[in-house]
Amino acid sequence: MTALNAHTARDAGPPAGTGGPGSGSPARPTGAGLAARRTRARVRAVLAALVTLVFVAPIYLMLVNAFKGQDRIVANPASLPIPPILDNLGTALTRPDNLIPLGLRNSLIVVVCSVALLIPLGAAFSFHISRRRTRTRAAILVALAAGLMVPPQVTLLPTIQILTWLGLDHSYPGLILSNLGGGYLSFAVFVYVGFMRGIPDEIIQAARIDGASGLRIWWQIVMPLVRPASATVAIFLSLWIWNDFLNPLFILGPLQGQTITTGLYLTIGQYSVDYGQLFGIMFLAGVLPVLGYLAAQKQFVAGLTAGSTK
Amino acid sequence: MLTGAATPPDPARPAPRRTRSWLPAARGDRGLFLLAALAFGPYLMFLVLPLLLSLRSSFTNQNPLRATNEFIGLRNYTEMAGDEQLRASLAFTLTLAVGVTIAANVLGVAFAILLNRTSLSYRVMRTIAFLPQVLSGVIVAFVWQTILTQNGLLNSMLTGIGLLDEPYPWLGSPRAALFSIGVVVTWVLSGFTTVVYLAALQGIPVELNDMAEIDGVRGGQRFRTITWPLIAPGTTISVTISLITVLKLYDIIAVLTGGGPANSTQSTALYIVKLAFTSDRVGYASAVAMLLLALSAVAALTVTSALRRREVSL
Repeated sequence: MTALNAHTARDAGPPAGTGGPGSGSPARPTGAGLAARRTRARVRAVLAALVTLVFVAPIYLMLVNAFKGQDRIVANPASLPIPPILDNLGTALTRPDNLIPLGLRNSLIVVVCSVALLIPLGAAFSFHISRRRTRTRAAILVALAAGLMVPPQVTLLPTIQILTWLGLDHSYPGLILSNLGGGYLSFAVFVYVGFMRGIPDEIIQAARIDGASGLRIWWQIVMPLVRPASATVAIFLSLWIWNDFLNPLFILGPLQGQTITTGLYLTIGQYSVDYGQLFGIMFLAGVLPVLGYLAAQKQFVAGLTAGSTK
Repeated sequence: MLTGAATPPDPARPAPRRTRSWLPAARGDRGLFLLAALAFGPYLMFLVLPLLLSLRSSFTNQNPLRATNEFIGLRNYTEMAGDEQLRASLAFTLTLAVGVTIAANVLGVAFAILLNRTSLSYRVMRTIAFLPQVLSGVIVAFVWQTILTQNGLLNSMLTGIGLLDEPYPWLGSPRAALFSIGVVVTWVLSGFTTVVYLAALQGIPVELNDMAEIDGVRGGQRFRTITWPLIAPGTTISVTISLITVLKLYDIIAVLTGGGPANSTQSTALYIVKLAFTSDRVGYASAVAMLLLALSAVAALTVTSALRRREVSL
């Protein structure tokens, strides 16, 4: 809380802040005004901290209770895990059915393959249509926007039928292929088209005159220029595909090994009484996305901002 | 991201019909075209084709268990009219969608205004506020389940400090379950709406706020005259996406209540999956899926066009 207040005092005034906190404001030089301003900043900081607490509380529960035994969880779920125990994680990782290691591996395979295919395909598609006539482009974008809206339940059954017909049901290629269609591609195209609109036509024309092919322009000029868009797309798609539930549950099926999300869903019922085990498994399932988000969160928010305002 | 539609043609250019279309004639562009086609292939195959198949199936009595698959015209659609479970699921889904959309967007605006500071501590708080979005719905729902069940953490805490005499069934009665699910989904979505509104707030020119400050416009008045109208594009996106998200919500409800008690929290999405995979009524499930699709489309288009009009009228 002290660190919080130190920062918020500076926040109250305009960015200047050469003197003491808040002294940079020319509009309110009086002592009374300054005090009122400080109070307001403090109220804001307390409110903001409360809001943050509400957001983080359930995640905090998951975090601390993964390192506590059953008795301590029941006695006081909110207490810190001092001293922490690793039994929950150990038991979860060494289950006879190997749920956690297998689930993590399967999720990684699906996410990496899907995203590695969606990025180049989505970018090439976006580049292709971003240089088409306005009307063609608008029509294609509307068709793709529809993809964002279709509830997965609508396409789930026929998708399984098509995959069965292709001989790819209950397989990773089947799940990855079905990931390539639908809402994920739509999202990638929307982000890319937004960014590509900002690339000056002259650069493309110049490369053309030099005799570069469309493919080459795309790979050597456009792709480096839209790297922030690629980061955004990669982060969001990884997260969504990692957390996807319905498709892995029904396309992979129970026999072919689970992704971490579906494995969690199918197994965790057994632990409805053993909180320690429950939180241990959830911690292991959630830790990768959370760490990934924290590592990439600047890109994450920047991408969301660019995507929503363009 | 939904707004990326047409930009008006640039009037400064001499040949408006041919603007930017440098591709078609060139020979060296076959590679790029192929790659683009490769991207659209899966879209046609795993979105457009399944949609058409689902539509066709909705006119049949397809049932893999009974090995039936005949064309029965509109009978599935007429059956929907008398389906009590469907009616209940629609009522539940719509109530949840409207309630959560309103709550998550009101909270999103409030939190965004509250957290709209650039110093480190506020940046940290913003990062935390988005965390619920990062975890899968399954994890979120399980964590909340340990909090909300009969002998869960919330009840043991409330009885522990004497606020409750006996544990309250937060997920056990129809009313309370609807409310509990609403709270959990709002909690998840608020992180998203907060970030969208924060982005919109940062798009407001600094000069405008400075001018308002000098003129002594602050508080509610500043919100009404400056902030609210200027975050209109953010509102359009945020409200539309919230609505669609809740209309097709599956995982959180499946884990929290599984549709219970007594089917009272069975959303239409849950009902479709139950019809298709538990009852094996694939034809009828497709018809209900078509209804859900139509509902989402109408809701999204209505809300988007209504909110867009507000953007334009600025």
